[in-house]
Amino acid sequence: MDERELIARVRAGDGAAERALYDAHVDRVYRLACRLAGDDELAREFTQDTFVRAFERLGSFRGEAKFSTWLHAITTSVVLNGLRKVQRIRRREVDLDDAATVTGTRGSAEPDLKRRLTQAIDRLPDGYRTVFVLHDVEGYTHEEIGATLGIETGTSKAQLSRARAKLRDALEDFRGEWVS
Amino acid sequence: MMDDRFEQWLREAAQQYHRPGTTPREEMWREIATRRAARRRWIVVRPVLRWGVGIAALLALGVAIGRWSARGPSSAPQQTVANAPDHASPLPYRLAAAQYLTRAEALLTGFRAEARAGEPSGQFATQARDLLATTRLMLDSPAANDVRLKSLLEDLELVLAQIAQLPAGADREDVQLINQGLEQRSVLLRLRTATPAAPTARAQGVL
Repeated sequence: MDERELIARVRAGDGAAERALYDAHVDRVYRLACRLAGDDELAREFTQDTFVRAFERLGSFRGEAKFSTWLHAITTSVVLNGLRKVQRIRRREVDLDDAATVTGTRGSAEPDLKRRLTQAIDRLPDGYRTVFVLHDVEGYTHEEIGATLGIETGTSKAQLSRARAKLRDALEDFRGEWVS
Repeated sequence: MMDDRFEQWLREAAQQYHRPGTTPREEMWREIATRRAARRRWIVVRPVLRWGVGIAALLALGVAIGRWSARGPSSAPQQTVANAPDHASPLPYRLAAAQYLTRAEALLTGFRAEARAGEPSGQFATQARDLLATTRLMLDSPAANDVRLKSLLEDLELVLAQIAQLPAGADREDVQLINQGLEQRSVLLRLRTATPAAPTARAQGVL
């Protein structure tokens, strides 16, 4: 069934159409929520919030953008707002973890690249991290990112470039990995 | 050249970043469907509630008119002033206010106790929604002629609205904000001062 028709049926209160629309998009939404939240439990919560909100606001979807872009805009908004709340609570724990990491990894015999990369991405400012995840990890184009986040394409490119520069600095210890 | 190598390496390495597992499709759908059904029920129930509140308001108005007409329009002002000089509103409204304040006190005391022990249950939000409708009625009734009661009702309306909007599994900060509001405006203390010791008994005696 055509997606427009599916959306029209959801608007008319068709429960089966709701499920079909959910099935068509849930993997991508959950994937994005996982990447941005970094926690399965939170990703589940954020995915559920996204769909509940999307179904409630479907009346305001005018079809000017693709439905997936509209849905991913809701996803990023739900995840980033949710994370701000969670981060306020977790800040103290993270600070303690960071202190342990700095003293433990520098110059150690077997540096853990995966862990350091994850930490470096996690520490990027929200805007940089979101653009980096969408582009370099999930493969969105700058046009799609612009539409999803409501920013100019040029802004998306600039943020990605700054994100990469910060990551390069943070991973300088591992220079051999990409130079060789 | 070096930048290109770094970017390519970074893109490959970053695929491991918070790598998602299998989508818990059914589990999430069950939760979404439950939340959607609950909201639909609320939307359906709301008009019914409005009707209920309207009928209650009509009944209250009927009682007030009945009492006023039984006394007779000419003798009523003198009698009221002589019998109850310290009350600005008619008896039925004072009784309704007493019952309402008792319910509000019970709700807020329970909410605060559960908030201290852990996470308050969603039942409080439902009760707060019920009381909110009555709060608006009280504010629009002659009971609100009493300046102190009006101020208390306005504070209660705010607190009840916050509790009513509290989502299931709300975080501790949201609950703390409500408790802070309760403390700062001394809502519970004012409620206890305003609530008669045994409103029901007193009401039955008077009636």
